[in-house]
Amino acid sequence: MENNKNSKSAGRKILESKIYPLVFLVIIVLISVSLIMVIGNITQAKIAQQRDAEILKQLNIIFPEMTDFKYLDKYYEIYAGNDIAGFAFTLKGKGYGGDINMLAGIDSNYNVKAISILSNTETPGLGTKIAESSFTDQFKGLGQQDVGLTIDGGKIDAITGATISSKAVADALRGQMEEIIELIKNSN
Amino acid sequence: MSQLKEISPGKKFWVEFVKGIVVTNPVFVLVLGLCPALAVTSSIDNALGMGAGVIFVLLCSNIIISLIRKITPDMVRIPVFIVVIATFVTILSLVFEAYIPPLYESLGIYLALIVVNCIILGRAEAFAQKNPVLYSIADAFGIGIGFTVSLLLVSLFREILGTGSLSIFGFTLFSIPVLSETPMAFFIMPPGAFLVLGLLLALFRWLGVLKNE
Amino acid sequence: MNNSTSLITIFIGMVLINNMVLTKFLGLCPFFGVSKKLGNAISMGVAVTLVMLLASLATAIIHNYILIPFNVEFMNIIIYILVIASLVQIVEITIRRTNILLYNALGIYLPLITTNCAVLGITLINASAGFSILQSIVSAIGAGVGFTLVLIIMSGIRERLEIAEIPKSMRGLPVAFITAAFLALAFMGFGGLL
Repeated sequence: MENNKNSKSAGRKILESKIYPLVFLVIIVLISVSLIMVIGNITQAKIAQQRDAEILKQLNIIFPEMTDFKYLDKYYEIYAGNDIAGFAFTLKGKGYGGDINMLAGIDSNYNVKAISILSNTETPGLGTKIAESSFTDQFKGLGQQDVGLTIDGGKIDAITGATISSKAVADALRGQMEEIIELIKNSN
Repeated sequence: MSQLKEISPGKKFWVEFVKGIVVTNPVFVLVLGLCPALAVTSSIDNALGMGAGVIFVLLCSNIIISLIRKITPDMVRIPVFIVVIATFVTILSLVFEAYIPPLYESLGIYLALIVVNCIILGRAEAFAQKNPVLYSIADAFGIGIGFTVSLLLVSLFREILGTGSLSIFGFTLFSIPVLSETPMAFFIMPPGAFLVLGLLLALFRWLGVLKNE
Repeated sequence: MNNSTSLITIFIGMVLINNMVLTKFLGLCPFFGVSKKLGNAISMGVAVTLVMLLASLATAIIHNYILIPFNVEFMNIIIYILVIASLVQIVEITIRRTNILLYNALGIYLPLITTNCAVLGITLINASAGFSILQSIVSAIGAGVGFTLVLIIMSGIRERLEIAEIPKSMRGLPVAFITAAFLALAFMGFGGLL
């Protein structure tokens, strides 16, 4: 260590200069930002692909008879052979843990076929029950006007202790159904 | 330095490794990283996912911080550590989102909050910036595994009592007949987390594993 | 859908139902460390609320006008933490220069706040909920008030616990955790409020 005193002192001069800490920090930030950008761009494609695969899987569960589907900007048109079996759309509800992402299917008479909760961050053990079939099955066969909590004049019983989560699902579905049915009717 | 030379580097590696798991166990001895220890221990899967995430971030940040320790100006030390840690947390969170989305969803914001996990910044400050890379790796593994073991212990109690069964990655290991039909959901809810961790801390103290305050 | 979540719902939700400490487990270090005295609890609560408010305002602007338009939302962690770290510095310097009394009361807590997960937590919660700038501000105030409230309650209980007869191995942290468990259980009662 003592031998290369000259090269050491040049290095030390840089290390002790006043702007060095700032320059060092900026370099570290630049390296980290570019690294994240690279990895972000790689994974972003994969994330989108995952999401599509998940939607396809859920569509098959809601419409077991599905042979093909077409994505029309805001909703999916589901085909069983040559007939239209129904329509499906994704929607977001506001629970209190954050977004509740859902996929809903309606039949050709515009009644709910089934809904499935794709993801949620509700309170474990309470709000997360919205994803269970005991809750989601209540929606099956309902017309748009009946989608709502019983306290709001609809036909859905809220989960005890998770009224916000239940309401978020029902209200989001009713609102989105209205919009999508309108769209479908106009396109015909 | 002379002290370190007396022990061979290989031995020192194991000393640092074991120390992190038992003597300086981050959760039960140092009482650090409480937020994930409570938040993600409602199931074994989450605890394992969080443990793996923390080991990854701790390992990477310890390596980098140890490598740049001689050229890091003291004045901007902490911001540099935070940037390094945040970079690896972002990478981890992107990789989880892309390849294991269910785990990403259930860990939620707690994955991103690894950034402010006191354990990681604590190790950077107390160990990695003063020690060579090899020992920093041992330290990261020791502390990381110690943290994971603590999470597993808490989640073991919470999952068994709260759901009446135990499952890993969707595979049910066992299910307790009466309890699984009417589980004590209290334990997987937030209050249960506080209670289990509090009782475990008390148990460790009672066993004499920990010094009384 | 986002705009229909009323501000009152967000506020009450953050204070009582989704309390930072008791249901999100954020800000536990000050919760167990500082909450031994009532005066300290209030100072800490005010300091955290102030930083949360400023951090939420700054990050909501960045999120809505930079990250979303450029489609780089994945940069949020590193940007938020840098924003919070700089904010804490700025607040500390400003308070020291302008109000020495306030600085003496809050000063020592400020450096601790950078690594307080409650501050980064609230900015991440706001971002993942897709809140607008106004909604983010309300949610930050709610989170801060909720944090302060629980800190005050806890400090009251702990002042009483200091003189209680507790088994040796339960003293200190274990009993604080168990107290927090019952507090959390009580707060779950607010769950049906909205």
